[in-house]
Amino acid sequence: MKRILPLLMLAALVCTSAFLAVQTVMAQDTITKLAPAAFGKLTRPPAVFNHDKHNEKAKLEECVVCHHGGADGKQDKTASTEGTPCSDCHKVKPAGKATSLQRAYHKQCIACHRAKGKGPLACGQCHVR
Amino acid sequence: MNAAYEFVTGPLAWAAWGIFLLGSGWRLYSMRQLAMKKDASSWAFMDLGFSLRSIVNWLIPFNALGWRKNPVMTVTTFAFHICLIAVPVFLVAHVVLWTEFFGVSYATLPDNVADIMTLVVLAACLVFAGRRLGQKEVAYITTGKDWLALVIVTLPFLTGFLAYHQVFDYQVMIIAHIVAGEIMLAAIPFTRLSHMVFAAFTRAYMGSEFGGVRHARDW
Amino acid sequence: MGIQERLIEDVGLRRGVSQLTPEKIEKVVNAVLKGETGARLKTYAETCMRCGMCAEACHFAGSHPGDPSYTPAGKVHQTMSVLLDKKGRVDPDFVYGMAQLAYTECNLCRRCVHLCPIGIDTAYIMSTVRRICHKLGVTPQYMQDTAHSHASTFNQMWVKDDEWTDSLMWQEDEAREEFPGLRIPLDKEGADIYYSVIAPEPKFRTQLIYQAAAIMHMAGVDWTMPAQTGWDNSDMCMFSGDFEMMGRLKRQHFESAQKLKVKRIVMGECGHAFRSVYDVGNRWLGWRWHPVPVIHAVEFYWELIQEGKIKLAKKFPGPVTIQDPCNIVRGRGLQEKLREVTRFLVDGDIIEMHPNREHNYCCAAGGGVINCGPPFKNVRVDGNLVKAEQLKATGVKTVITPCHNCHGGLHDIIHHHKLGMELKFLSDIIYECMEKPEV
Repeated sequence: MKRILPLLMLAALVCTSAFLAVQTVMAQDTITKLAPAAFGKLTRPPAVFNHDKHNEKAKLEECVVCHHGGADGKQDKTASTEGTPCSDCHKVKPAGKATSLQRAYHKQCIACHRAKGKGPLACGQCHVR
Repeated sequence: MNAAYEFVTGPLAWAAWGIFLLGSGWRLYSMRQLAMKKDASSWAFMDLGFSLRSIVNWLIPFNALGWRKNPVMTVTTFAFHICLIAVPVFLVAHVVLWTEFFGVSYATLPDNVADIMTLVVLAACLVFAGRRLGQKEVAYITTGKDWLALVIVTLPFLTGFLAYHQVFDYQVMIIAHIVAGEIMLAAIPFTRLSHMVFAAFTRAYMGSEFGGVRHARDW
Repeated sequence: MGIQERLIEDVGLRRGVSQLTPEKIEKVVNAVLKGETGARLKTYAETCMRCGMCAEACHFAGSHPGDPSYTPAGKVHQTMSVLLDKKGRVDPDFVYGMAQLAYTECNLCRRCVHLCPIGIDTAYIMSTVRRICHKLGVTPQYMQDTAHSHASTFNQMWVKDDEWTDSLMWQEDEAREEFPGLRIPLDKEGADIYYSVIAPEPKFRTQLIYQAAAIMHMAGVDWTMPAQTGWDNSDMCMFSGDFEMMGRLKRQHFESAQKLKVKRIVMGECGHAFRSVYDVGNRWLGWRWHPVPVIHAVEFYWELIQEGKIKLAKKFPGPVTIQDPCNIVRGRGLQEKLREVTRFLVDGDIIEMHPNREHNYCCAAGGGVINCGPPFKNVRVDGNLVKAEQLKATGVKTVITPCHNCHGGLHDIIHHHKLGMELKFLSDIIYECMEKPEV
């Protein structure tokens, strides 16, 4: 209980700073957290994600592995969309059966971690307090 | 750790749900068969209307004599059972898992509300434990089975709370939480927790007898 | 705390236990559990969460504050739970305590049903314990004597066939002085009403038969009483656990009514007999309902009043209080009719005991407890301080209760606590207040 107020304050702080960070600096090498402005107020702490370190560790060289393209609910693994924020395509509350932003993140990260047998799977491993 | 997490959220989860659902179904079915075979003179009086009358009257806090005479227990047990069911079912993190695994999604509780409700469950468990230790008429009849049921129910909420707040080692805690939840599910058909399966029917039977035969209230 | 620390010597229990061996106990317990119980006992035993809420229900528990061994769940804990846990492997000494507890410390009143969220019927569990005790031959001497009487004579009080008809003719003869032309019609075929009583009435409460005859006569009821066995509707075998004999008794009762082709059975002011005929015996015999409709005297008097057939010359001076008999209140929902009849008869207030109606406290005599006789009298008197306080709080001088057991139980409580109250059956009051012919 005692933790809730500080937690909330912390969350607000993180949200604001993340918001500012994403708005002002689009350079990838500064990304350490995933907190797109589209989510608004966050339920959980933003997912920890150090872009460059992650890719180095995961030996990822092709941007398209994550930054896929696609349309009408079909993923296109050949069209790279680097530079386009995820939230441009994946809406927080999408119309119809399109993948929501939250689900897109969860799917993107967890499915890969699960397939590779490496990387975090449980909530709190990414959403670190 | 990934392998352990995969195991408890995969095969073990299937096993727990399977034991819970099939076990409960089997217990209900076999109990029905037994009732028809050995309790025909009771079975004959089962009545849907009177069953519901009794169940509804007992679902209203402070309505039945039992609730009125035991106010602390009434507040505790209603708060406990509501939170016990609502938190796991409507928790954001759990719904995210349903979405992740099966693509289904539904309404959720705000995390801070769920957090408070979890504390309510834990507080209620403390009250129950306190009654078992300190209240003579409860202590006298308390057996190992009763403590077991209480521990089985307490652990998922305790570990869930700690995991949510990421106290101690998160990875260990989250796996402990999942295992504790699965133990609870699997234990429902085969421990005192089976009252989840049977209580509606024992109540319904009493309601039917009092309504249909004895023409008196049973609350 | 527990039954083993308050054992009372009883010839029947002692003799029964002396003939037991652990092997015999195990065999009998399991024969009953496997053969005669099923889903009810299983779910009750398994799902009782041991929450202790039922403690509030029981007059024994309320009269022994701080002693949890008198609570409903506490009583099950000392008896059936042990039998189930140990699969019947208990020793003869355990059986003594189990029998004493089941026969003398539970009235099977079912008040605990109102306190249990899950709806566990502790009375059923205690009845099953009694059933086992009966099969083990461990029954209180006095109660077993009445059960023997049932088995030998089809009545509870060793009343011989000629004594029964003699008593009726004697009462008829007496009553004809006051009510010229009054008859107690014996074996009248096709009568509207078949009136049955419990054997203590001809044995030592014959005035009740006199009064019933007077009421029937003045109300112009077409009634009869049977001259042959079947006239006794009481049933100690139901309470001793001798269900076979209970079944024979109930069959005899119904068949004697059927032979006379009567329209309805009206039972005198007795609670346990009503339970046996209305609720229990019919089921044992495999009848969902009764082959002949059955109503209790309270309902019968209520009907007569509705029809304007009971005319009063005066009203009984109140205030009065009402003791609700468990078996016709929790057993048949007659609480409001009982009050309507009382309001018709009494001039003055009905000062209620609290709680009342279907939440009433038992008299502590019912369920066969009073029939366990003098050795256990203090068990039920001390076990019902709750009732003594309830009675005292009303401040009235008259207690109306349409049940023999309630009379017996309250009589002892009133005397023990010097409450100075008198007990009345409804028929006492109707007889006292009704219009009588000028002779």
